[in-house]
Amino acid sequence: MPMDRREFLFRGIGVATVSAMVPRFAVAGARFFEESLAPGAGGRVLVVVELAGGNDGLNTIVPYTDPLYSATFRKTIGVPADSVLDLDGKLGMNPVMSGLKSLWDAGRLAVVEGVSYPNPNLSHFTSRDIWHTADPALAQRRGWLGRWADATLAGNGNPLSGCAVSQSLPRTLLADKVVFPSFTNLAAYAYATDGSNASDAANQINGFVAQNSIEHEIATRNELIEDVARDAASSSATLRQVTSNYAPKAVYPNNSLANALKLCAEIIVGNLGTQILYVTYGGFDNHSTQKAAHDNLLKAVSDSIKAFFDDLDGQGKSSGVLLMTWSEFGRRVQENSSLGTDHGTAGVHFVAGNAAIRGIYGPAPNLSSLDSNGNLKWQTDFRSYYGTVLRDWLKTDSAAILGPGYPNLGFVNASSV
Amino acid sequence: MSISWDREAAAHLARRAGFGATPAELDAYVGIGLDATVDQFVHYESIDNSALEADLQNLTSFVPPATSPVYDLSRIDGVRKWFLHRMTFTKRPLEEKMTYLWNLWWTSGISKVQGVTLMLNQNKTMRQYALGKFDDIVLAVSQDPAMLVWLDNYTSRVGRPNENYARELMELFTLGVDNYTQTDVTEVARALTGWTVQGYTGADNYNGAKFLDNAQAHDNGTKRILGQTGNWNGRDAIRIILEASDSQGSVSGRFVARKLWTFFAYHDPPEWVIDELTGVYASSGRSIRDIMDHLFRMPEFYEPHARKVLVRSPVEYAVAALRQLEARTDMSVPVGDLIAMGQPLFDPLDAKGPEGDMAWINTGTVFARASTTNKFVTNRGTTGTRIDLSQLLAGKTLTTANDVVNALIDRFGLSDIPPQTRAVWAKFVDSKSDGSRGYWQNTSAQTDVKVRGLIHLMLTSSDYHLC
Repeated sequence: MPMDRREFLFRGIGVATVSAMVPRFAVAGARFFEESLAPGAGGRVLVVVELAGGNDGLNTIVPYTDPLYSATFRKTIGVPADSVLDLDGKLGMNPVMSGLKSLWDAGRLAVVEGVSYPNPNLSHFTSRDIWHTADPALAQRRGWLGRWADATLAGNGNPLSGCAVSQSLPRTLLADKVVFPSFTNLAAYAYATDGSNASDAANQINGFVAQNSIEHEIATRNELIEDVARDAASSSATLRQVTSNYAPKAVYPNNSLANALKLCAEIIVGNLGTQILYVTYGGFDNHSTQKAAHDNLLKAVSDSIKAFFDDLDGQGKSSGVLLMTWSEFGRRVQENSSLGTDHGTAGVHFVAGNAAIRGIYGPAPNLSSLDSNGNLKWQTDFRSYYGTVLRDWLKTDSAAILGPGYPNLGFVNASSV
Repeated sequence: MSISWDREAAAHLARRAGFGATPAELDAYVGIGLDATVDQFVHYESIDNSALEADLQNLTSFVPPATSPVYDLSRIDGVRKWFLHRMTFTKRPLEEKMTYLWNLWWTSGISKVQGVTLMLNQNKTMRQYALGKFDDIVLAVSQDPAMLVWLDNYTSRVGRPNENYARELMELFTLGVDNYTQTDVTEVARALTGWTVQGYTGADNYNGAKFLDNAQAHDNGTKRILGQTGNWNGRDAIRIILEASDSQGSVSGRFVARKLWTFFAYHDPPEWVIDELTGVYASSGRSIRDIMDHLFRMPEFYEPHARKVLVRSPVEYAVAALRQLEARTDMSVPVGDLIAMGQPLFDPLDAKGPEGDMAWINTGTVFARASTTNKFVTNRGTTGTRIDLSQLLAGKTLTTANDVVNALIDRFGLSDIPPQTRAVWAKFVDSKSDGSRGYWQNTSAQTDVKVRGLIHLMLTSSDYHLC
């Protein structure tokens, strides 16, 4: 990392802007940048991509050699066997996923099959909460990465240790000691002031920070909101000064996931010490006329992730980035009368990056042994999926976050960075 | 326990049963007392709302020489503006607040439904049944064309039913997630087969769909729903669901009571509150009006721990600001900013709709809200959303910076803010552009700079995000 960047950060943010606006981050912020820009723990970034609605794993990674798939369960909406992008002679990618296939061919993609948890819940909202908290009993309020953040990021003073490129803050990132910012558009990420009185803008911003820096004698809802507002002010000050030199080194497709991943790349290239980035892409709840809509979604996912890594390759940043997907459940094996699929259980997920070890983890879906609701029996506990990332990428004791007993799946090369 | 009916209590009721009151409205509520005020909110048919309807008639018409109406109801943004206009300018706040709650309770989304008229009609249906019997609301929504498309029941047929609506009917709308089984979902889906739409076609942009009970698509077999066996149809399924009870009483009653109290009062209600409201639900024949009439007269509703503990949604935030600013508006700004604030009204991400409460607040949405209210207060033009400073300050003493703060806090319901916040605002009013003090003088030029900025600070304070 060049010295002049660090000096710029010190001069531009640590002293001149943040300390004037937000006392809480003034000193800690400057110290943080010094440390995080060094290689080591701060060099790894995890990008989480949520595919909201319940992605149909069977039409994503297709068991195309299983006659039950084409002749019984997916007569109408199934992916034709002769069109798939073969992975191992039994499973093949949906043909729209040439982007992810090229990452597979380059040895940078792991496919994790049959992921769910005991007694899978078929409610979007309950299952989503289970995935967010990594707790089927729903006793945890904080998200799994929120708990990790409380244990490892709290007090580091960086308002951008992690962020959601999203209209809302996902529960995965809900923490007690850390506020993760969320935004979709950097240009609008600031406290708006009176354009007709630019000379009063500093007073307006200072007033906003000051009214959100009131000491409360008892914890109130006001305090929760004020914490967020203060973090907004400090992260905005940082972001606006550092990311202005970014130019993408790949052509991104035109969809909201690509836009979000492009902003993730901008943040990564900006060297802000960000370790967690979170993106949501919705539309996967395909109860009716699924085929064309789902193919479009898969193509967007595949092309966007490919463009993201092409960009990072061009920026010299890809070795420090691991991307993982999740979705609250897969779909019912039997297509319904509406040419769609109802809620299911186990799903398939992807891990991409230089540290991903190419392979299919977990057994292929067994269409001849379904549960009483006609759903896949799950094979891989989602806490093993999370735990592998926690241990081998975030270098954390995964049992401390998730509890003990979830075997490591081995899809991350722990010594890659 | 009795309720101390004062300006603060009236403001609290107006924030919850509506979208916040103006100073003049508060004067009136305090004058007529609690019972008459609650009557006005809950029994709103007696309130003349014809001025609103006349305004909307003009705003939704093609009036020469304009080439389009202000609110174009053939576009979803026009419907959004129409709905926000109703919330902002109605004389019957609870009618719109209930319609807004039903919109959150039974979401449907234009992205899937496609027909703008279907979304508008669904909103009108929710207003029609705003304080009706819960059974009537459930039936009306279950046969609503937008809902039938949104949750796929219109394609569900005997043989392979589509479970989407059946599941959410029980999970999200009437019972709650742990009060039915997957078998119940399948069986209710079978009972609902045949409830579909006719005339749902791209030829008229999907606007002409009507409910159809198609006997040929209906499953006439025996179903077992929540323990009851019979050849049930959709009406039977709704009746069985709403009549279901367990050791604690009516399951749907407790579900409805909890949702209403959480929306109107505070989160995590004590069991006695749920019991009390469930009792009203049962004894009134499941009347939402009777529950609300009771709820707004409960001393618990006025306790300090019930006040300013709910986070305003973006819609509630924008509408409250417009009402309390007594702004003129064509609704372009608030509707244009809804997505950035995190609430794509009539286009929710999923069937559950927004999570609400603190989930509304994140760093991005805090800035988005500030951007919206900044536009409200800094527009000096003669069109769009704008405020009249002389009207807001009429009759107020404005000699010192503290006077300016005091002149505005009552209007925005901020009289109870901490003294430190008050000091921050007075300092802002008295700060020159270089940050030194001694700025404030009561001139029109200084008023234009500082009162607009001060109102913006007030509207972006943590207190104003709460109601």
